[in-house]
Order: sequence, then C-alpha cells, then structure tokens
Amino acid sequence: MIRCIIVGYGFLGRKLAKEIAAHKIQDLKLVGIASSKGYLYKESGFKPEDLPEKIAEAQGFKEAPAFELISRELADLLIELTPTNIENGEPGLSHIRQALEEGMDVVTANKGPIALAYEELTSLARERDAMLLYEATVGGGIPIVSLQKRCLAADELLSIKGILNGTTNYILSRMHFEEMTFELALREAQMLGIAERDPTLDIEGIDTALKIVILANSLMNAGKKLNDVKIKGIRKITSEAIAAAKESGMTIKLIGIANEEELSVAPRLIKLGDPLCVHGTLNAINLNLRILGSLTIIGEGAGESTLSALINDVYEVVKARRISTSKNALNE
Amino acid sequence: MIVTLINQRLEEAEEGFMRVKLTLALVDRPGVLLNALEQIALNGGNIISIIHRRDRITSGYVPVSINVEFPDPASLERAKKGIESSGIPVIEAEALEKTITTMILVGKADVDTLLRKVSELGSKISALYLTGGAASPCLKLVVEAPHGKLKPLISSLEKLAEEWGSLLITEG
Repeated sequence: MIRCIIVGYGFLGRKLAKEIAAHKIQDLKLVGIASSKGYLYKESGFKPEDLPEKIAEAQGFKEAPAFELISRELADLLIELTPTNIENGEPGLSHIRQALEEGMDVVTANKGPIALAYEELTSLARERDAMLLYEATVGGGIPIVSLQKRCLAADELLSIKGILNGTTNYILSRMHFEEMTFELALREAQMLGIAERDPTLDIEGIDTALKIVILANSLMNAGKKLNDVKIKGIRKITSEAIAAAKESGMTIKLIGIANEEELSVAPRLIKLGDPLCVHGTLNAINLNLRILGSLTIIGEGAGESTLSALINDVYEVVKARRISTSKNALNE
Repeated sequence: MIVTLINQRLEEAEEGFMRVKLTLALVDRPGVLLNALEQIALNGGNIISIIHRRDRITSGYVPVSINVEFPDPASLERAKKGIESSGIPVIEAEALEKTITTMILVGKADVDTLLRKVSELGSKISALYLTGGAASPCLKLVVEAPHGKLKPLISSLEKLAEEWGSLLITEG
C-alpha cells in the first residue's frame, strides 16, 4: 500500500483528498493533509467522512509546519498543491526538494517550483530514483506532458504554441463576442470567480510565461528561466483592436510560444478558423513536430479539470511502484 | 466542379501558401533527386517545376532549381533541413512571392515614421485603417513583406511601438 500526503488543502486539495479517501485508486491511502496552519496525520488512512472542510478545526490538528509530515517514514508520495509563488517558488519548492531528498515521489500542480527550478528538481529526482510528475501545472486537464513524453518522444518537437490561460481567454472571448471593454470583461470574470481579485499574474501574461517555460524545459530540454521570456499582457487591448481584428476574419488571443529562437507571450492575431482559436476558458496547445507536423489539443485549462491531470499523475506513480514492487518480489 | 477547385486553390494561395525556388547541388547520379523530392513531399510541398542546369555542372554537381509551393515557412524550413540531412546542399531558397500579413497597433503612432520604416525595410503597406479616434487610437495595417524580411520588420515596428507606449499585435 502506497501512503500519500497532500500539502496544500485548497479547492484542488480537498477534491483530490476525497477521491483518494474514497479509494478511487487501488493500493493508495491518504495518511496526511496539511495547510499553511498545520497538519493532520492518520496512519491507517483517511476515510471520506474523516476529511474536514478546514484542517485547523479538526480533531488531531497539529499546529506545525508541513515539513514534519514530509518524511519517508510517514509517507511515500507527496502531492504538493500550495499556491504558486513566482518570486522564489516557496513554500512549494522546499516541500518538493525535501520530499525528493527523502526519496519520496512527488506529484504537483504548483507552477512555481517547476518553472523556477526544473533542472535542479528533475536531477534530484533522478539521483534519488524518485518520480516527479507535474502534468497539472500546464493546461489544466490537457495531458500535454504525458502525450509528448509517451507518444511523441522520438519525433523532434520544433515549436510549441498555445492559449495557456483560461482567464485571459475568457476576457478576450467576451470582448470579441459581446463587444465589451476590457475593464467590463475583467470585472465579469472576477464576479464569476474566473479571474482572481488581483488578476495581475493572468492579464500581464506571467502565468502563461511560467507555463511556456515549463513546457519548453520539459518537452524541448530548453534550459530556460522566466527571465528568458518576452512577455506582453492583454491590459492594452481595446474594443477597437478586437473590432479591427474581427473585420479581417481574426481575433486577438494571448499566445505563448516556445521555439528554437524565442520564448514569448503576447497578444496575437489568430484566424477565426485556426484550430488554436478556442473561446471561453478553454486552452489549446499546438505542437509542431518534424515528422508528424502540426498537432493541436484542446481542453478546459483550469478548475476541476486540473483534478484529472493530478489524479492521473498519482495513478502513474502508484502503477510504477506496483510494478517495481512485483519485480522485486519476483527477484527475491 | 473545376471552377470550385480552382477557386479553392486561389483561396488557399491567398491564405498564405508560399512559392519558393529551391536551388540544390545534386551529385550527377541517378536517384539522388528522388531523395530531395521525398523531403519536399513529406513536408507538404507541391512541386510546380524542376529545371536541371546541366549547362552549369561544376565539379560533378548539377544545380537543380525546383519551384515549390509550401503551406507555410515552417514546412519550407523542415524540407530544407530534411534535404540537407540527406546529404544534398541547398544553395538557395528564394521566395517567389511575398508574405501578406495583418498587424494592429493599439495606442499612439506616428504614421509617417511607420510608413518610412516599412519602406526602408523593403516592405510596403497595402492597406491602412485608423479607428477609435484620439481617445483610443487603433491602426490596422496590411503589410506585404518579401520572404525573410517579415521578422526584422516586426522587430523594428515593435521597437517603435514601445517608444510610443503602444502595443503592436501581429499574426501568430
């Protein structure tokens, strides 16, 4: 039985905890959950009815840092879901680093550590024979990392291009279809919970830039940092600009690009019939491969769909460990 | 039916098919040309004509000019790489057509400077629309740039837009 802990008990953390506690994945039990305030630990594993809404109000709550829980003695798998910090990746970066040093496997949806310290974390994982999976950091439920690594690894990836942020795509779509101003579309997105109260990371293109760095490093071995990305956001887009694009059979989308020459995030003109031209909160990612040519994959880029990417990564870890346990048993 | 097909073809050409003259140095041996043609076909190239310049054989190499239509610049680049990796040098890839692209400049702009810059860089503006008035100016340009000149043009115009505190949006 593989023992997992969830660090970061927000929307996704609670949803994933319920799935694991309900034994949606065989041979896996949830033994710990942690928030910024402290943690709960249960060696026998949490059942769905044991899961609290707020950790701090539950019986057995221990007011201590999550680091206490990240130990190979207590768990085999860390699921790191703390919020993204673009300055230094913390506290997620230290959580992941500690888990890998302990030889624990890690699954994360936290963009900060993967965008800022990809090389360090992947080589640490290799060194300790641990798995580090991060599908949920990019494109919500779109399985872009797994798709490239499992189905397209022998082809040569020439470029990646995509709409990687649902919030800005929602705003630009409303401006296109309803002829709204940027400010009005943003306010609507905030009312619906699609945009954060402080939407800077999304509308200034930084969230897309983090994702393009993750994709470039992970799928193209680019060895890039956030500073290498030329970033332009959508704050200056006016109704007039959208109308002018529309007259030419196009619209404006925030596009992240990674190729041999550059990493960039900028509003770009996209033809209305282009496979990348998706609307609302949808994401779309186009891979240009030497042999296959162009491949576009579309899906919901945030919210509950991210749970699909997370649970599949968790399943991959359990499956891999199950196989290695059976091999070891056979060898013995 | 034929008219429909012709129209479709014309529409595709307008939507960005690019015609290129590829000049290759082929070893004068049967079967070598086939390797190059395979790479062109593999990357969506439609061959229009092939001319062997036997009158210009140099050190056993025959210059061969192939006029090809590619769906986009990336396909051309892939075909060139493929040809070169099969051991055939590509001497030249010359665009026979121009790239026509739309750009939108949001915010203030000095139109005279913009027109001068486009012309200096060997391109021309075939249409220009101004909307939004003084409060929210927006300039839409349709630019014709010879193949290979578009990137330097875009980066120059981006610099100008930055100087004006405006935003240049190009086709992605």
